[in-house]
Amino acid sequence: MTKPLLEVRSIRKTYGGKILAVDNLSFHVMEGEIYGLIGPNGAGKTTSLRIIAGLIKPDAGEVLMQGVNVHENLKNNRKIIGYLPEEANTYPLLTGMEHLKIYGGLYGASEEDLEFGAKITGLGSRLFEKTSGYSHGMKRRLLLGAVLMTKPRLAILDEPTSGLDVHASVSVRKTIRDYVKTTGAAAIVSSHNMLEIEYLCDRIGLIFKGRIVEEGRPRELIEKYSVSNLEEVFTLLVKGAES
Amino acid sequence: MSRHTRLRFLLEKEIKDLFRDRKAILTTILLPLISLPTIGIFTIFLTSQQPVNIALIDEDNSYYVNPELNVAMSSDWVVGNLTLAFTSRGYNVAKFLSRSEALENSSIDLIIVIPAGFARNATAIDSVGQVEILRRANVQPALNAEGIARGILNAISVNLSHVKIARLYEKTGLEPNLLKPEAFRNPVVSGPTVLLSPEGEKVGVEAELRSFIARLLVLAFAFVVTPASTYVIDGIIGERQRKTLELLLASPASLGEILTAKIIVATILGLLASLADITALLAYVGSLNLAFGGRSLIILDPGLLILHSVTSFFTILVTIAIATPFITRTRGIRSAGNLASLITSVAIIFFFLGFFIDFPKLEANVLSLLQIIPYTQSVLSVQNYIYGRPDLSIINLLVLAVLSTIILLIAVKTVDKEKILLTQD
Repeated sequence: MTKPLLEVRSIRKTYGGKILAVDNLSFHVMEGEIYGLIGPNGAGKTTSLRIIAGLIKPDAGEVLMQGVNVHENLKNNRKIIGYLPEEANTYPLLTGMEHLKIYGGLYGASEEDLEFGAKITGLGSRLFEKTSGYSHGMKRRLLLGAVLMTKPRLAILDEPTSGLDVHASVSVRKTIRDYVKTTGAAAIVSSHNMLEIEYLCDRIGLIFKGRIVEEGRPRELIEKYSVSNLEEVFTLLVKGAES
Repeated sequence: MSRHTRLRFLLEKEIKDLFRDRKAILTTILLPLISLPTIGIFTIFLTSQQPVNIALIDEDNSYYVNPELNVAMSSDWVVGNLTLAFTSRGYNVAKFLSRSEALENSSIDLIIVIPAGFARNATAIDSVGQVEILRRANVQPALNAEGIARGILNAISVNLSHVKIARLYEKTGLEPNLLKPEAFRNPVVSGPTVLLSPEGEKVGVEAELRSFIARLLVLAFAFVVTPASTYVIDGIIGERQRKTLELLLASPASLGEILTAKIIVATILGLLASLADITALLAYVGSLNLAFGGRSLIILDPGLLILHSVTSFFTILVTIAIATPFITRTRGIRSAGNLASLITSVAIIFFFLGFFIDFPKLEANVLSLLQIIPYTQSVLSVQNYIYGRPDLSIINLLVLAVLSTIILLIAVKTVDKEKILLTQD
């Protein structure tokens, strides 16, 4: 049996010693897999993703990337983990291409990587304009290109289509799928959009009050709970967990 | 991917982000360059546009010759001299018949009264002729006019006393050529001040002006620290609020590298701002000096200016280094700004003290205590140079450089990435 690319083992995180954000959370992600992390607001999704990206240290538990503890080997893991935060923004006075060059520069990106990143953004000649004139969707695509251009083994995408219109969302979803397919890398995607998760993810984990309360393939879960879509699974599980 | 390469890319980002913000550059660098000389020009212009109305009242209105001394004085002649002195300088002069008439006129700023008996008293051997001066309080140009009046009256007094002494001397029957009226008027005088350098060599008045400029340059450090700390606040708290920080923190660049790039650019900005401020300050002081009949300030010491720039650099660095750990722990731009103001206030207090107090002259134990504060080194560096001790000045500069580097390293090491990220705005 192949070893998982990422293993999250019983991580726990409290803020100020009082607010429990993540409680004994465990899951794994295989190579070439898109893992969806879904849950209501405040369930602990963003904290979990930040811990996996190495931005926050867990109080307990560990995150292993290719068998190596992420927080004990941050320097190397940063190069193979790409992270797109939910509310990431661009520098308005820099052009799109300058964003790619600067972010790429921090990862040691080659010219080839830059071209790859530019292609992901789909912005064409507008890459040479300052991002102050970009729409929200253009900014999101630019940052997605910046995160994926160095071909991280694991792409952590927190609400990648948040605030985007239908057309832009479809484009971003396709980009994520193509990326995983062509590079063989893995991705963790968090989203509130159940249709998106159903379309995009190979497996999902439902997080509630900092714990994974259900995990499986979207289709399997729909069948297991005898409902017509993932949204209904989500509603059932959240109601059940609350009661 | 080396640390230097990452730092280069981070610096590129910071420099482009800052220098493309024309408004920030305009307000930080160009505004002082424009505003201070403008204040100077307006001060000169508006000063000349302030009319000063002077009333001259000749209550004596007499011509008197002292019979014993054969010395004459005319109140009308005194009024004539005063009128000429005032009108040639652009003041409005009007003759009034009575002081009550002048006092009732609210547009009169200065009243000069020559009382009855003035000519007689001025020429007598047992009395003095007194001129009364009444000035409206808090009218600066009237104060200048009063100075002119006193100067003219003093000149009249000197001339008259010389004549009176000469007449009295004639009566003694002594050798006429031996008389020096000053021997009677001012038998004890202090000679002109001889200015000395710290080494004891005679120097010109330029040395005092140079010292004044040095004090101004110490004061100018006060302008240096504020824009730099503002930029660091914007760079850290502002970037968190604009949602650009998290992506950067998730990259292979360490927090130390990210902060170092911000601090370097903030220091460059602070240095540019300080150069603009100093240029503007010198232009302002220079224009005022020239306008009020002073000497040109073109006696600037290039060594002093270079020393000031290098000291400014480390002064900014030490300020940012002290401010950074506090700034990163605050919740928003407002509280970060308050904290930074607190730190820059301490710095500004020191620079104001440096304007008035010669730190190298302080008692050793007091100075040792003050040296706990890094800004003491900034002040000492400039002041020791002026006192002719460039060796001590360099030592102060080196101490400041070492202190700022140590504080910077501690600052970068103690800043918590998680705190920067998770602090709620």
